[in-house]
Amino acid sequence: MTYRPILAVIEREIVRLFRQKSRLLSAMVRPMIWLFVIGAGFDAMLGRGEGSSGGASYQYFLVPGVLGMSMLFGAMLAALATVYDKESGVMRMLVIAPFEHYWIVVAKTLSAAIAAAIQAVLVLILLALLGYLSKDLSLPLLAVGIAATSLASASTGMLIAACTKTLDNFAVMMNLVIFPMFFLSGSLYPIQHLPDALRIVAMLNPYSYGVDLLKHALPVSGGAGFSASFSTDFSLGLNLAVLLGFSALATAIACARFSRETAYEPLIHMLSRKRGE
Amino acid sequence: MKRDSPAVDLSPAIHAADLTKRYGDVLAVDHLDLDVRAGEFFGLLGPNGSGKTSTIHMLSTLIRPTGGTARIAGHDVSNEGVKVRAAIGVVFQESALDRNLSAAENLRFAGLLYDLPRAEIKRRSDELLALFGLTDKRDKPVASFSGGMRRALDIARGVIHRPRVLFLDEPTIGLDLPNRKKIWRFIENLRAETGMTVFLTTHYLEEAADCDRVAFIKSGHIVQSGPPHELVSRLGAFVIEIEADDADRIVAELAPRLGRAMMDGERACFRFHGDATQLAALQTEYADRIGALRWRKPNLNDVFLWVNETEATGRPSSGEMEGEPKAGRPCEDGISGAANTTGFPPSRE
Repeated sequence: MTYRPILAVIEREIVRLFRQKSRLLSAMVRPMIWLFVIGAGFDAMLGRGEGSSGGASYQYFLVPGVLGMSMLFGAMLAALATVYDKESGVMRMLVIAPFEHYWIVVAKTLSAAIAAAIQAVLVLILLALLGYLSKDLSLPLLAVGIAATSLASASTGMLIAACTKTLDNFAVMMNLVIFPMFFLSGSLYPIQHLPDALRIVAMLNPYSYGVDLLKHALPVSGGAGFSASFSTDFSLGLNLAVLLGFSALATAIACARFSRETAYEPLIHMLSRKRGE
Repeated sequence: MKRDSPAVDLSPAIHAADLTKRYGDVLAVDHLDLDVRAGEFFGLLGPNGSGKTSTIHMLSTLIRPTGGTARIAGHDVSNEGVKVRAAIGVVFQESALDRNLSAAENLRFAGLLYDLPRAEIKRRSDELLALFGLTDKRDKPVASFSGGMRRALDIARGVIHRPRVLFLDEPTIGLDLPNRKKIWRFIENLRAETGMTVFLTTHYLEEAADCDRVAFIKSGHIVQSGPPHELVSRLGAFVIEIEADDADRIVAELAPRLGRAMMDGERACFRFHGDATQLAALQTEYADRIGALRWRKPNLNDVFLWVNETEATGRPSSGEMEGEPKAGRPCEDGISGAANTTGFPPSRE
């Protein structure tokens, strides 16, 4: 296995991302809805926001969360599409190609992560244009945060995709996996203030560490007026260790699971099932 | 790792011994022996569910044999999967294309999976698109292609890396006649140009007539094999078709002389080993008792009909008029005793 097959899978994912205009559009709009609708709603409820004296705007708290969201959704949707790919022509090309089958998982994970990172960069540009980024953000740290969060989200998606036979209903996956991961992270509220049970779940959620890493990279603008609730939950090192460790573990399990599926043929039978063109 | 020409290699393109695939109680492929020479055009023929696709999937490393061995271009399918896959191209029954990508993008994707440099992919894509008449479609999305165009592109996809052995699993299934003919012309051109070994499965028997060698598979084992023209001539000089009101009586009467009849609708078909004079004599003899007597040259369909008959009765049919020596028949895979009586209706086009 050399780099070309992996590049081919990545290239296809990027071509698809930019060809599916609605996918790209919704990836841009979704974070903005949270930022402007939920953010503004909470600000109004709490009597905060621009020009008010009640404290810092909740919208600023949401910035790292919505940036993370673009990666969580982008990577998950790309990775979960592999379940559809299991019955597709592309998968036939991949299983007959001359490399071990676990490389398919590796290539798919990387391509989903890269698609997610591209979406994150686009959202980041949008946030910058709208004035939601402070000047003292750390670009290198932000790059690391985007890379690690994208990778962790993509490996989560691939792990699910490798263990799922059919995705009858994408909404189920959305409601049972993606939304809980989003809600039970530090995206919408600091983890440290959650009730015990929820806090434990949030601490077990690898995505929490991605959001926290983004908080490290995106210090909230507005300065001293912010309460402790705007601070980060974990240390930088812990965030990175959890994200990378989880990615490696999830990818390894997904590889093993997928190789088993091809070795013991359920995938091949799926691929040779007759279906109308 | 890539070869541009089949070069000097004395190992057979495909060698299978005792190849077996069992799904629970079902024996999909039953101790199959097979040898295909490099450059040969080989057809594996049989009805649906006879084990053709399982055989191709085992030979292409996608499913594991339950027993036996197979080597492709000298590499073992069970533990040298990657090497085998590098040496073969597979065109599945179902398309292996990304409908969202264009023809050229599909070929590039496939080429990159085989680790070909981009410039080389571009060159070969242009060649293949020209060979398959798709040059003006190169930048159109596959979703807009007709079934025939899609199949042609799928074959181009399967050979972009110049495999030594190309597996075609029912390449013309679901296509109309003009498109089927087109696909065959493409495959012919491809063979002429590259000399690659082609392993074909089909149940359109007339399409296998150009094969160097065919094998009939039934219930997972090969019941007869050889060059198509030999199999056909071995069957007899003519096939005669008789229509009559009291067909049953005539069939019973002729059976001792001509062997068992195969019923093809209202017509009874017999193999006939005599020459034209004897045929004329037979015609005169029965002239006033039958509605119609037609004779024609046998073809692979007839071979298939009678193969099934011998299989169903568990023995070669007897009573050849001319007593052609049956014993010396080089039916290497043997008409095994595993009498399968589940028989399937003689397939007709």
